[in-house]
Amino acid sequence: MQDRSIRVFGLVLSICYATGILWLYIRQPQTVAEVTGGLAASVGAYRIDQRAFDDGLALFHRDELEASRAAFERADPAGRDALTQFYIAYSYYRSGWGRLYQDDVYFKQGLERADKAIELAPDGRLIVDDRRLGMHSADELRAELAQGLRTEVSDFNPMRVFGTRK
Amino acid sequence: MKATTEAIYLPLVLFTVILFGGIRVADRIVFAPPPLFTLVLGVMLFGVLVRGQVFAPDRLMNSSRSPISNLNGLVVVLATFFAATQAFNLVIPEAGLPFVLFNVFLFVLLLNTMAGSHDRLSVLRSLAVVTGAAFVLKFVVLAALSEPGDSTLKRVLQTMLEGVTLGTLTQPVLHRASGYLAFFTLVLFMVGLAMLPGPTHVKLVPADRSRIVALIESDE
Repeated sequence: MQDRSIRVFGLVLSICYATGILWLYIRQPQTVAEVTGGLAASVGAYRIDQRAFDDGLALFHRDELEASRAAFERADPAGRDALTQFYIAYSYYRSGWGRLYQDDVYFKQGLERADKAIELAPDGRLIVDDRRLGMHSADELRAELAQGLRTEVSDFNPMRVFGTRK
Repeated sequence: MKATTEAIYLPLVLFTVILFGGIRVADRIVFAPPPLFTLVLGVMLFGVLVRGQVFAPDRLMNSSRSPISNLNGLVVVLATFFAATQAFNLVIPEAGLPFVLFNVFLFVLLLNTMAGSHDRLSVLRSLAVVTGAAFVLKFVVLAALSEPGDSTLKRVLQTMLEGVTLGTLTQPVLHRASGYLAFFTLVLFMVGLAMLPGPTHVKLVPADRSRIVALIESDE
């Protein structure tokens, strides 16, 4: 009987360990917070820090973009919340936007976060009801960031200095 | 083999090798899945282990065992294969000419081991030499060649080497922790291989031997 219990325990342990390894290789987490957050999200128990998110949102709308990103990162340390990732991507867009040229470093980081937001959103569709934003969907934001990273003829159009940041 | 070894210790050791075999510590941590060719090398190593009497899968899975014991056996068989795959994933360089050369050399060395070694100890020894040598080449020699130079002379030599080899020799720079982790993983892999159950050999005492000879002679 004891032998059987050991074997059953070993089998369950092996299945859990193998599942954990598979999950790590698919998800590629970078920090312990991402590991625990990812596991919590997989059972629907992940919650962001709402106060930090509200702080981030207030800072974002005051155009204190770097500070807002810090607050958003604190709100969603595991990077599992689509809305927070959307706002982080948006803050990178605003940081990188310029009348003469776009900052590729910010835009690349923004594109990564926009992709993540789309990946995390149910059915990949994320609409943000925030009147103060120029773009309300993750798809729009992603397209804007991707376009900013491409070098096109329109980039040399002098009229673009009159363009507006969304 | 004890139930605890077969069901708990051995899977834990082999799964840890599977987990650590793909970890690359650079500016970020990457869990690198095994390249396709390491699956081929894994199959070959599995063959070497069975032919070399290091591993007898029939002792872990056969009709006389209970279903749960057979499932434990299946876990060990699969874990051994994937641990072998990940061990190769660990010691094979990431890119360029060394990636191709290591694959070819390991393939040839495994063929050689398969053809030449037929006892448990020599197979384990041979595998320790193969994985150890690959470890030294990747984490000591190639890492030193790829590491950014801290002196002007080293930087000049590296630039010349890159020019001569058309940039196919240098590898992505890994954090020092990668080497230590790789060493630990390979040691664990060898421990896991040594723990695998080999074929059973019945040892006869002289009295049994003479009794069997007498039985055969009486039959004739």
